Amino acid sequence: MKTVIGLEIHAQLLTETKAFCTCEIDVNAKPNTNICPVCTGQPGALPVLNKKAVEFAIMAGLALNCEIHEISSFDRKNYFYPDLPKGYQITQYFHPIATEGYLNLDNGKHVRIRRIHIEEDAGKMVHSSENITESKESLIDFNRCGVPLIEIVTEPDMEKSEEAKEFMEKLRDILRTLGVCSGNMEEGALRCDANVSVVDDNGRSSSRVEVKNINSFRYVQYAIEYEAERISKALKDGKDVKHETRGWNFVTRTTVSLRSKEEENDYRYFPEPDLPILKVSKSQIENIKQNLPELPDQKSERYVKTYGLAKDNANIIAKDKIISAYFEKLVSSKMDPKDSSNWIVNDLLALFNADSVDFNPDKVPIESLKVLMEYTNSGKISRLSAKEILGEIYKNNNNPQDIIKEKNLIQVSDENSLVPVIKKVIENNPSVVEQYKKGKTSVVGFFVGNVMKETKGKADPKVVGDLAKKILDGEIK
Amino acid sequence: MLPNLSVEDLIEQIKSNKVSPEEVTNHFVKKTALIDPKIKSCISTAFVKGKDGILNGIPFMVKDNMEVIGTKTTCASKILENYVSPYTATAVQKLLDAGGTVIAKTNMDEFAMGASTEYSSFFTTKNPWDLQRVPGGSSGGSASAVASGMVPFALGSDTGGSIRQPASFCGIVGYKPTYGLVSRYGLVAFASSLDQIGPLTKNVRDAGLIGNILIGKDPKDSTTVEKQIDLLKNIENSIEGFKMAIPKEFTKGLSDAVKNVLFDAIDNFKKMGVKVDEVSIPSLKYAVAVYYIIAPAEASSNLSRYDGIRYGLSIDGESVDDIYTKTKDEGFGREVKRRIMLGTFTLSATYYDAYFDKAQKVRSKIVDELKQIFNSYDAIIGPTTPGVAFKIGQLSSPLEYYLQDIYTIPANLAGSPAVSLPMGSINGLPIGLQIMSKRFEDEKVLRIGRNYEMIRGKFPLPEVVA
Repeated sequence: MKTVIGLEIHAQLLTETKAFCTCEIDVNAKPNTNICPVCTGQPGALPVLNKKAVEFAIMAGLALNCEIHEISSFDRKNYFYPDLPKGYQITQYFHPIATEGYLNLDNGKHVRIRRIHIEEDAGKMVHSSENITESKESLIDFNRCGVPLIEIVTEPDMEKSEEAKEFMEKLRDILRTLGVCSGNMEEGALRCDANVSVVDDNGRSSSRVEVKNINSFRYVQYAIEYEAERISKALKDGKDVKHETRGWNFVTRTTVSLRSKEEENDYRYFPEPDLPILKVSKSQIENIKQNLPELPDQKSERYVKTYGLAKDNANIIAKDKIISAYFEKLVSSKMDPKDSSNWIVNDLLALFNADSVDFNPDKVPIESLKVLMEYTNSGKISRLSAKEILGEIYKNNNNPQDIIKEKNLIQVSDENSLVPVIKKVIENNPSVVEQYKKGKTSVVGFFVGNVMKETKGKADPKVVGDLAKKILDGEIK
Repeated sequence: MLPNLSVEDLIEQIKSNKVSPEEVTNHFVKKTALIDPKIKSCISTAFVKGKDGILNGIPFMVKDNMEVIGTKTTCASKILENYVSPYTATAVQKLLDAGGTVIAKTNMDEFAMGASTEYSSFFTTKNPWDLQRVPGGSSGGSASAVASGMVPFALGSDTGGSIRQPASFCGIVGYKPTYGLVSRYGLVAFASSLDQIGPLTKNVRDAGLIGNILIGKDPKDSTTVEKQIDLLKNIENSIEGFKMAIPKEFTKGLSDAVKNVLFDAIDNFKKMGVKVDEVSIPSLKYAVAVYYIIAPAEASSNLSRYDGIRYGLSIDGESVDDIYTKTKDEGFGREVKRRIMLGTFTLSATYYDAYFDKAQKVRSKIVDELKQIFNSYDAIIGPTTPGVAFKIGQLSSPLEYYLQDIYTIPANLAGSPAVSLPMGSINGLPIGLQIMSKRFEDEKVLRIGRNYEMIRGKFPLPEVVA
């Protein structure tokens, strides 16, 4: 059995105004405050295309290796729903702006992109019950109505749910790097519908099932996994797999049928007569291409090549433009790149990950991390203390020097203060001393650990180790 | 005597202080109050005064499918019976900015779908020449108001002839500008690729005067274009040496009475040193068929928004679908429903290629053939309508009714400018001469019209007694 997966992704573009009117886009605005005759479908109102949305779509197309079409056009997708005020969505059906691109996954898989087109978002509905049919009352907020979207459609080139998840994450990283989409799936700024089918060992394919309402990167994986299993089981049991649209329910972690193929709308697509053909010149496209930021994969490769970073670290840093900017600032302020990458990936990002929040450079200013790295490298503080201080900075945004002073964390490495402590630890553990004398030199670590405990981590472990050996060997009385 | 004056005359009278702007406005407001109960041109009265400008004191009426802020814009439909415009159409705003005053919104066929105002959901407007007859449509309210002297000019919209056909029936001038010259922002869409706003006036010079105010690129309508056009600049120039084409397809099957009027018109042109040739434009025979696929298709989409959710008529129901069904069933009239169904059918996935796509191809063919003609001829002329105004209730089959637009539709399909002006009359009822040229040759169309008007002599207006 083989699973075949294709994705249809909607990404809200981060333009200041809507796709076809001049209403501001503000997710925090009070309902129905950013609306006008155009985006509420008043009689006689006409759409005017937002040029920034076109530029953003071209950027995404170029980043995904698409062919950008100098001529594309808009069409109407007709259907009735209360959140769709005109009774049609303006989209690009017949002639999309970009086609035939691809995105490579880390395992080397080449996922082809069929098309990217520009369209508009619908309003947002809130129901008094589960859904519109069961609700006595439904409210509509048109602030979101007319927000520009790009729809990205892949070919069915993925076979594993993990690949789909990775595709979505890579896509998010690219869109964020371009600055064209926030990439937030939970908030619906990035949405993913998955087309899943299963081919059995005799090469017979099941019907294709479309899974909607997937609202996180994890659920991309879970929903596809669930659906592939459901279809496989049906095939094994000799049951019919319906060509249908199903919805992912993240509470039950299952999919449920939304509508069958027969219940699908006939969208009656036809060319949008209110908008002229969209023309972009070769030079415009070239200009946008020249100004594209460095994309995550390119950046990661550069980090490995020029800085000698480990591939994993390079990937983690390169995929987020805020993290990579932070890293590059550290490097440009004369910090060692490899060391910097270790600090960022192992220590700094770990703090944010533990709280499941996005990295925010304001929480740990570059200057603070730099001080910690320098103090550690020069032996003024221990690595352990440094980690503790970093946690403090993250939590309270304090100055590292103040924390060091306040907690008295300066590393102790002078013999005079360390020797008595080491001697005390040795005296208290005669049996371990015996082992040492019998030739088991590794027990030095035991003494070092205890000294670190005694000194609350302030002692320089390297110095402690040397001194302990000398004391045990009788070189220091 | 004011009612018989043209816009230009009124401007002159006001300029020379023979009459004040207020007196002019008041006169027409009173006249409307007196005459309208008989003609029934107006759906609602209004009083929206513009800024100071050349049209100071000049009142006008607006077809009820154009938004004027604070006025009801009903499209003569129950579904918008109580809809109040939240904004003003660009074309209307331009006239307001030029000093004009809106005094009424005029009757029409519902959503501009019709040629008689009989499809208005409210009432049928009468033809001021014969109250038993229709004024034409869909801009029948505007045409009858101008013809009966309620206002010196009015705005109409023309999707398949809706300005020119009622102008022909009412014995006045109706000008449909080139598609893209006048903003459609605020014109309630019927068929977006065909709709165009234009003036209904008493003479061709007024059409040029009002046209000059209306024309211009509008950032709110992406289909408008920037063109330097002055419709009055050369309007008085001779047309000697011009060449006119009369398509065979336009004269085939004409009644003798209409033919006679047309022959007189041809003689008039010849007197002016204009050559008139009969030509053949084979694809024109498909124009009506193409139109009745494209226009309903676009309309079916444009009218989707009247769903009872945000504004307009809303009839409560068991579910959203029930609200939609009840609202649309109650709110739309028969003809509108017929066209929505037609359009929904021709756009459906199964029939798209056979109907809509094919119609688009034939439309291109018509455009090409017309282009060919305009390479050799200055304009195409012919009667605006197959006959004079028909009696109210006379045309019962939709097909017969649709053929009213047979001569006017090609200009909409090609986006061409066209004007209708009185050609002559048959048994005391006017019939229009249509002059059509290639896109952006609006100056030429009106110049030919003005020359014809001069040689024809003054065309009388009907006497309507309250």
